Amino acid sequence: MPLVIDALTKRFGTVQALDGVSFTVPDRGICGFLGANGAGKTTTMRVVLGFLRQDSGRATWNDRETGLWPRRTWGYMPEERGLYLRMPVVDQLVFYGSLYGMSRREARRAALDWLARFRIAEHADRTAESLSKGNQQKVQFIATVLHDPEVILMDEPFVGLDPINVALLRDAFLELRDRGKTLVLSTHQLDQAEELCDSVVIIDHGRIVTAGPTRDVKRSTGHQVVRVETSADGDLAWLRSLPHVTVTRPGRDYTEVRVDAGADPQAVLRAAIARGDDILRFEVADPSLEDVFVERVGELEIEERVLAATGAGS
Amino acid sequence: MTVIANALAVARREYMIRLRTRSYLVGTLVLVVAVMVIAFAPVIVKAIDRSSQQRIAVHVAATGLAMDPVTTLGVLMNASTDTGATTPVSKPGFIVSAVPDLMAARQAVGAGTFAAVLEIDRASNGDLGFTLYTTDPATGRTAGLIRQATTTIAVSDRLARLGIQPAAQAGLLVPAAFGVAWPDPTQTGMTHGTTEAIGRDLLSFGMTVLIFMMIILYGTWIAMSVVEEKSSRVMEVILNAATPFQLLTGKVLGVGAVALTQYGALLAAGVLALFLHGAVAGVVLGPDDSAGLPEGLTIPLLLLFGIYGVLGFLVYATLYAAAGSLVSRQEDVNAAVMPLTLISTAGYLIAVYASIGLLDIRSGWVAVLSQIPFVSPFMMLGRVTSGQVTVPEVLLSIAILVASIVGALWLAARIYRAGVLLYGQRPSVGAIFHLVRSPS
Repeated sequence: MPLVIDALTKRFGTVQALDGVSFTVPDRGICGFLGANGAGKTTTMRVVLGFLRQDSGRATWNDRETGLWPRRTWGYMPEERGLYLRMPVVDQLVFYGSLYGMSRREARRAALDWLARFRIAEHADRTAESLSKGNQQKVQFIATVLHDPEVILMDEPFVGLDPINVALLRDAFLELRDRGKTLVLSTHQLDQAEELCDSVVIIDHGRIVTAGPTRDVKRSTGHQVVRVETSADGDLAWLRSLPHVTVTRPGRDYTEVRVDAGADPQAVLRAAIARGDDILRFEVADPSLEDVFVERVGELEIEERVLAATGAGS
Repeated sequence: MTVIANALAVARREYMIRLRTRSYLVGTLVLVVAVMVIAFAPVIVKAIDRSSQQRIAVHVAATGLAMDPVTTLGVLMNASTDTGATTPVSKPGFIVSAVPDLMAARQAVGAGTFAAVLEIDRASNGDLGFTLYTTDPATGRTAGLIRQATTTIAVSDRLARLGIQPAAQAGLLVPAAFGVAWPDPTQTGMTHGTTEAIGRDLLSFGMTVLIFMMIILYGTWIAMSVVEEKSSRVMEVILNAATPFQLLTGKVLGVGAVALTQYGALLAAGVLALFLHGAVAGVVLGPDDSAGLPEGLTIPLLLLFGIYGVLGFLVYATLYAAAGSLVSRQEDVNAAVMPLTLISTAGYLIAVYASIGLLDIRSGWVAVLSQIPFVSPFMMLGRVTSGQVTVPEVLLSIAILVASIVGALWLAARIYRAGVLLYGQRPSVGAIFHLVRSPS
């Protein structure tokens, strides 16, 4: 029963925001939706939720157009946080819940449960503007999941949260997944995504670069990573001279190198032994998601791209 | 069903939030007080009038007068303050007394004992001459009343010298019967400018002002509220739960309910004033005396006021919401709603000019304008009170108004749907046209 995105295109004026976007989000899992600003993440989400109509292509969930499902099927946390600033927190959560067809009493109980869980129950009757940014963000998340949606789309859920709140939010994600929900989250924090996501989708300039289970995506480049530490620490010349090997992180504790696809990582170990150094660490691993991303897309740009500036969103 | 449920949920939130704002509470209170003041204005004005008494001294140097000038002056001046009523009032506005010493009286005017001294002498040709000693303006109300009275006294004196005794003069000075009627033989009823007609015109004028205020004030309020949801980015959150159409109708209904609550409070204050009017007038002015209410306030007129008020609000409010959806910052709201403000102001001004007679309310193009949806809420009441309109005309204009509300809602929903996710620059007219036509 997956969420299937099939050949979506969407153009804003001269900008091709989505250019044949296709991927599948497996059911009951967390999917990381990765891309630079303006790559097409928000536009894809808005099409799935029916805010925007695609020029062509389909978005289906359980083999049915996403727009045909009841609204309470969907939970959405937009990148730009939005709350009624002068409205008490619990009142506005009840309002959101009632829009999804919950009774006011039901919505109130669910809201208070979630507030307690996020340790902000004492702020229930305060206005949203009097809350700290982190707490506002937690309220925003509660607004997203209050009505118990089946599919939850979140744009940058971790931005602006301190590590404690990131952990709280992550636990909530994992619990929702274990209860059978499907979560899609876009993020810049690739280490977060790597840790949390069962599958990832990388999008760039409106096209899907790669998609699949996180482990498969990490292995998709064919490269492998070797972390090595020897008694001759600091001297990296021998590593640089090895064929098919590139030093990527000349670190203090250990040095990380990339081994080209097809080459044997054990060659690094053999070379180290041949030099006669003591080998303190030798580790063969898959590249990190960040490595894959950098290789496939290039450095993550912090600057907004043209698309965002035109107001079309990413 | 969810369409209605969601629209009502949005309306409910809007209503509860708006009703609690301080500016709304204060504004309503001010308006209620204003209604009370207007309703009791006749009583208040009379009470103030009554409390001020002016003393007029008369020094009669002339001889051979046929009547007592002091009594005559007193009767004439007090009669004219009471809009022609001849019954003596318990507390007259002017007290007229004779003084023997002119110089002493003139000094007394300076000291404030008298408002004025009138000297009456006789010229060599036999005519009476009058001189008024006063510090009040020569063209003021008191001087004017005295001047009118002196003319009557002088004419009466001349007639007496011609041999017509005062008792016979009364019949001579009675004004002739004079009527004003419509040139069109099919037209009946009162013409412009009679006291009753002015009362009715003022009534429809006041109602038109209230309708105009409601549209401008609460229309802008709706636009602001839409922009608030955009600028705080709540829009995207609620857009996942509700359709733009639900949000739009909910907002219009919610703010409309807020407006109706305010007008309901005003109406309650007005009704209360009606009931209390007689009692308050009795207490302030004494049991014999009453001050009139605005005339011509009938149930059908109130009903039409309600209908045109609500329908006029709805047709404008939906478009105000659409205009608000096109901008994303509070400071751009005024520019966005400008076209609507201009149209409503133009309609309102035409209605005002027609009701005060600057435009002929009976002309054909006024009749045509009073059928045009964005203008009819302002125009119709004036035409109704001036008796210039037939029942089918009123029904037609209401039907056109209702149809145009449906049209405005359709247009507004399309603009709104595209506008709510539009951030950044304000779109051009061409871009708006494109948004309305686009299929999404």
